[in-house]
Amino acid sequence: MTGIVLWYLNRATGITSLVLMTLTVVLGTLVRRHGRIPGLPRFAVQGLHRNVGLLSALLLITHVGTAIVDSYVDIGVSSTFVPFVAGYRPFAVGLGTLAVDLLLLVLVTSLLRNHLPLRLWKAVHLTSYLLWPLAFVHGITAGTDLGGGWLLWLVLGCAVAATWASLAALATRRNTPPPGERAAAALTATSDALATGTPVGVFRNG
Amino acid sequence: MTAMTAPSRTRGLLDGPGPSFGEHLAAHGPLPVVDPHTLVEEAGLLGRGGAGFPTAAKLRSVATAAAASRRAPVVVANGSEGEPAAAKDATLLVLAPHLVFDGLALVAGSLGATTAYLAADPALLPALSAHLADRRDPVGVRLHPVAQAFLSGEESALCAALDGRPALPRTKFPPVRERGVDGRPTLVLNVETLARLALIARGDDLAAASMLVTRRMEIGGTPWVDVVDVPLGTRVGDVLRLDEAQAVLIGGYAGTWVEAGRAAHLRLDRESLAPAGAALGAGVLAALPSDRCGLAETARVVGYLAGESAGQCGPCLNGLPRIAAALDLLARPGPAPSGLLRDVQRWSGLLPGRGACSHPDATVRLVASSLRVFSDELARHRAGRCHGRYGHPFLPVPRSPR
Repeated sequence: MTGIVLWYLNRATGITSLVLMTLTVVLGTLVRRHGRIPGLPRFAVQGLHRNVGLLSALLLITHVGTAIVDSYVDIGVSSTFVPFVAGYRPFAVGLGTLAVDLLLLVLVTSLLRNHLPLRLWKAVHLTSYLLWPLAFVHGITAGTDLGGGWLLWLVLGCAVAATWASLAALATRRNTPPPGERAAAALTATSDALATGTPVGVFRNG
Repeated sequence: MTAMTAPSRTRGLLDGPGPSFGEHLAAHGPLPVVDPHTLVEEAGLLGRGGAGFPTAAKLRSVATAAAASRRAPVVVANGSEGEPAAAKDATLLVLAPHLVFDGLALVAGSLGATTAYLAADPALLPALSAHLADRRDPVGVRLHPVAQAFLSGEESALCAALDGRPALPRTKFPPVRERGVDGRPTLVLNVETLARLALIARGDDLAAASMLVTRRMEIGGTPWVDVVDVPLGTRVGDVLRLDEAQAVLIGGYAGTWVEAGRAAHLRLDRESLAPAGAALGAGVLAALPSDRCGLAETARVVGYLAGESAGQCGPCLNGLPRIAAALDLLARPGPAPSGLLRDVQRWSGLLPGRGACSHPDATVRLVASSLRVFSDELARHRAGRCHGRYGHPFLPVPRSPR
């Protein structure tokens, strides 16, 4: 009985965590692009990114905990941090372990962000783009429910969303002029907009 | 940049017989070995780079930071003068470079600095290099050319440039007095501040009580620009010829417009200028002739300032170009889009205190003062008239920003 509960809890937290991670990535790229969610101020987008990320980490604790406690599969405590040592599907579980390690790094540096050099925080934060694929591949290799039902479509939806968001962030990065050229470009754009009476957009500052 | 006319001491900042080391020694004597900390404190010297920060406090905090980090601090003489209307730093570096070097040697010695920089316009460097060769300072001074940009003299931008990075301002924490050039505690002082320090060290009690002023006016229709050494507390009307002027720009492009009649009676010190919303800034006084349009002059300057935004902080990058473009429309005779003036005021309220540096704050202050002082002109523009004579800009603006 407890075994079944643990198994269901593990799968449920795993899939929910992946969905929340995807949402965190999408919101993170939105923050990076200075984007908005209708009805929310910009700082709320940032807050949402942070809180959804924290929530996915919380769920991950349950996900890892239940996998270890469940005696039906051989996943030891060491598998929480050391990859590829589990007795059950070592490669698939190992990918999940790597993702947990990275997530821990991203989480800790973000909580300590005000006390760290900005560049260090940024470098660690960018590993999220590695973290997500690790978690995703872990999900489809270790998962047992992807028979072709709604769960498969959910996971594929996550992949599309994360890919689209990453590409959009990359495009914004390429289209943002270097600091020295932004002001002049903004001035020209504003003058043109005021002359024609069209609304002025938002200028990207990195 | 010609002679000085204001009442001055016998050995004022610009009164030396010449710039050479021999002439400098003859006029001022050798630099005595003194501790600048107490002297500066007693003299009440305020920085002359624009912010008017007490020099004693800066010295103290760099000394404290150096002791805490156990790293030798860096001292920087800031002669960048990114303000297009100002010429006092360049004038000082041409007429009395050794006073600046003396001041730099003094603070370097007292702080135990191992590195000293002087940052200035590239055109000034060959002469400065020749003057440096005559000196035997324990800490050698490295000359650094500064790119002509409004923000290049901002202290964190200057430190970044000295480190070989792009000259962009950064957040105020940690301050450069704790982590500046090479990550070391860094003392950045304006060149005039250092020159005054050199005089204070020689026992000139009045050195802290006057300031270099760049005057810009028109006398009989002819432009007049010079740099004078003016005692603090002098009436603006005694420094500038105001009979043909309609308003005075006090403090330069980061400053404030004041009506000529009111400005004439203002005294040049912090306390007297504060009620008029003005500050000494980098010591620019510009008397706008009565045949110019104050709004057009301001719009041109604000357009330049908006283009000089470092483009890093959203409020500045998104705010200043909007304000500049709107002001440009308001500065032309003819009906402006309805609500544009209210938009400018609303945007202006959103900017102060929200940038890494105070560039947006200062620009917004200039805009607000222009709308207040030239309100009659605004009304005239609405009616399709303007009393300005076009084609003769008064305030200098570099042709293409950056």
